[in-house]
Amino acid sequence: MLLAILVWLALLFVDLVRLFGILNEMESGIAIEFTWILEILFFLMVYLFYSYSISKNAKNEFINLIWRAASTGIFAVGVSALIFLFYGFISESRLSQEPFLRNLFYHINFALTTVFLISSALLWKHLILYQRSKRVVKQWQAYEFAMLVAMFFIFFNQNTLDYSFLFGLVLLIGLGIVLSGNLKWIPYLTFKEKWKSLLFLSIILLSCTFLFVQMQGYTDQVIYPVNLTDNLFLISLFGFIFSYALFSFLVTLFNLPTSSVFEQKLTEAISFQRLSQSIKPEENEEQVLDILMDSCMSATYSDGAWIEMGRNDYPDGFLKEQFLDAETRTELSELMEGSKVAKEWISENRPENLSPLAIRLDHPKFESVLLVPLIINKVPIGRMVLCKEVKDGFNKEMMNIVSTFVSQACISVENHRLLNQAILNERYQEELKIAQRVQKALLPATLDHNSDFDLCAYSNAADEVGGDYYDTYKLSEDRFVLIIGDVSGKGTSAAFHMSQMKGIFQSLIQLNLSPADFFIKANAALGKCLERNHFITSSIFLIDTSNKTISHARAGHVPSLYYQSQSNKSDYLGIDGLGLGILRNIQYEKHVEQKTFTYHSGDVLVLFTDGIVEAKNQKSQQFGFERLRTLLEVYHELSPIEIQSKIIDSLHSFVGGDIKIDDDYSLVVAKFN
Amino acid sequence: MLTIINTRENGCHILALEGEVDASNSVMIDEAIQKLIGDGSKSIVVDGQKLEYISSAGLGVFMSYLEDFEEKNVDFKIFGLSEGVLEVFKILGLHQLMNIYPTKEAAFNS
Repeated sequence: MLLAILVWLALLFVDLVRLFGILNEMESGIAIEFTWILEILFFLMVYLFYSYSISKNAKNEFINLIWRAASTGIFAVGVSALIFLFYGFISESRLSQEPFLRNLFYHINFALTTVFLISSALLWKHLILYQRSKRVVKQWQAYEFAMLVAMFFIFFNQNTLDYSFLFGLVLLIGLGIVLSGNLKWIPYLTFKEKWKSLLFLSIILLSCTFLFVQMQGYTDQVIYPVNLTDNLFLISLFGFIFSYALFSFLVTLFNLPTSSVFEQKLTEAISFQRLSQSIKPEENEEQVLDILMDSCMSATYSDGAWIEMGRNDYPDGFLKEQFLDAETRTELSELMEGSKVAKEWISENRPENLSPLAIRLDHPKFESVLLVPLIINKVPIGRMVLCKEVKDGFNKEMMNIVSTFVSQACISVENHRLLNQAILNERYQEELKIAQRVQKALLPATLDHNSDFDLCAYSNAADEVGGDYYDTYKLSEDRFVLIIGDVSGKGTSAAFHMSQMKGIFQSLIQLNLSPADFFIKANAALGKCLERNHFITSSIFLIDTSNKTISHARAGHVPSLYYQSQSNKSDYLGIDGLGLGILRNIQYEKHVEQKTFTYHSGDVLVLFTDGIVEAKNQKSQQFGFERLRTLLEVYHELSPIEIQSKIIDSLHSFVGGDIKIDDDYSLVVAKFN
Repeated sequence: MLTIINTRENGCHILALEGEVDASNSVMIDEAIQKLIGDGSKSIVVDGQKLEYISSAGLGVFMSYLEDFEEKNVDFKIFGLSEGVLEVFKILGLHQLMNIYPTKEAAFNS
């Protein structure tokens, strides 16, 4: 706004100077160069104001830009028309001969014409530089520079029409015409917008012509002491505005018939984008298929279509018809099955290579159909059929675009399926975590014991859940049960069996059974619920602290390790016993033994599972029984928890720090006081 | 890795096991035995000379056929187990239920 005011001030200033100029001509006179400088200043101010205001308001709507130029043109023409009329009214009076008034109007006309020309030029600049390339930007800069030079040209040729003036004019108009070739914005107009721009452009052309003719009219009259308008800058601007408007007008006019094609392409691009973005996990693929069918129909101008999906993905069949009924569809399907071309097409190609096929049909309504297979991962999942009422209605471009749509839709569907799978997997992971938590809770949080012995336990599963089990039970103040178990296999199935083992232990142990009887009953119970090729190994210890005895039995479990303080030796407790679930009849009784011995202060009992002795290092060597036995002899003096961590540490260093032990392993250490 | 070589000798089916048996490949043994029983074989001998390791899942396979063998009168023998593998059978107590022999001769002469 400030700039605008400055511009107007400058204009008034020029006016005043001009008026004085006339008087001064009669007397002495201000140099004519001063007028020219102000004129140039005015040009520059208008230029700055418009380049500022256009770049500020530029919403890049072409129609708005053109309308702005057209409205300025109308305004300039309107004002000069009013002046013309005014002179028509007062032609008789003396006022019409008044040079001051004439000069004032001349200046107003000059100012408005300048404003129109410069603002239009800047709007053209916007249009020309719509698709910026280095070359176009260079051209424009060259033109702007040439125009700047043209403003000062007046100093050299003193406003006479000589050859240098003509040369400059030809050069500038030539540059303007070259720039006028940049009309890339036109195709982006819709059909309606093109009509509008044609109207506006014709307004601009007319205003331009009118103002030019009017300006030439001034030149011939002698009453105007200083010629402002016979300026190289202004005249070449006229040339530029006119030529660009004319070019745009013609190109827009000739673009009218093809604009529907461009719009169609644009719709296709948008459909394509919708197809690729449409699918989200919570949506279903049927929506994609709907979009696909709509897009394909509009791309091929089809009169009817349907999609049918294979039974694998849609057990009840998925069928969608558009603009045709089930009866017509059946008729068409039968005709298609019967068509020779279709048969060849199916027999010649493998499913993954099938491309859309256009078939001519002998049907009263639809005379041509396009058969499009839908293929995901080389497997056909269904087909889409587009129907047209005209013969040979599908050209190569249509088939290409349909293929593109279909492959994009298939990718979307596939992505959707993969995503759903990933979500499902995530859910399974979550379930496994719950299973892990539940299983951890199956192992005792506190271990039952009294002051006669200390106890600690550790268990680690190779997978999320495992099949190792240990538990304790307090029969009375001085009788305790320790049990350790290992379910064959690992992972989820082992974990289920382990929980059965826990249930059986917790219920049977309350019957106050001897260790051997416990296994006989447990075997009978487990025989009913274990899978045929699964078994459980276990060792059970009944500790009686009142008479310091341990009764134990073994059911196929790795023998437990026992350190005797009296002999300062550790050894495995050799006792026969068959794993649980191997013999599922009464015969089992014969295969279970029971032993009782007395313990002494300082004795250590180590229960463990085969994961420890079978752990392998990189050389495929097993940790083994002997290594474990020696460890206990070395560390027997430590507390149970220290013995336990010594064993686990040495197990890890044996296997190698980074290697994961590939089996469940557990450890229970009891030390007698 | 496990390979099973199936041969016939004196009316016996010999299954020679090579490598390691664990949860992932114990199915192979299961299928081999299943097939022999299905074919009506009355004598199955497992050659364990090249068996390096057997996991509980592998033992589970042998165990699951114990009743079948008894019912159908199939003579089932194992021979040539290495010390470590035999120990696994012994710990579980399977040596009480199966005929396990140190050598091929011992297996055939019993």
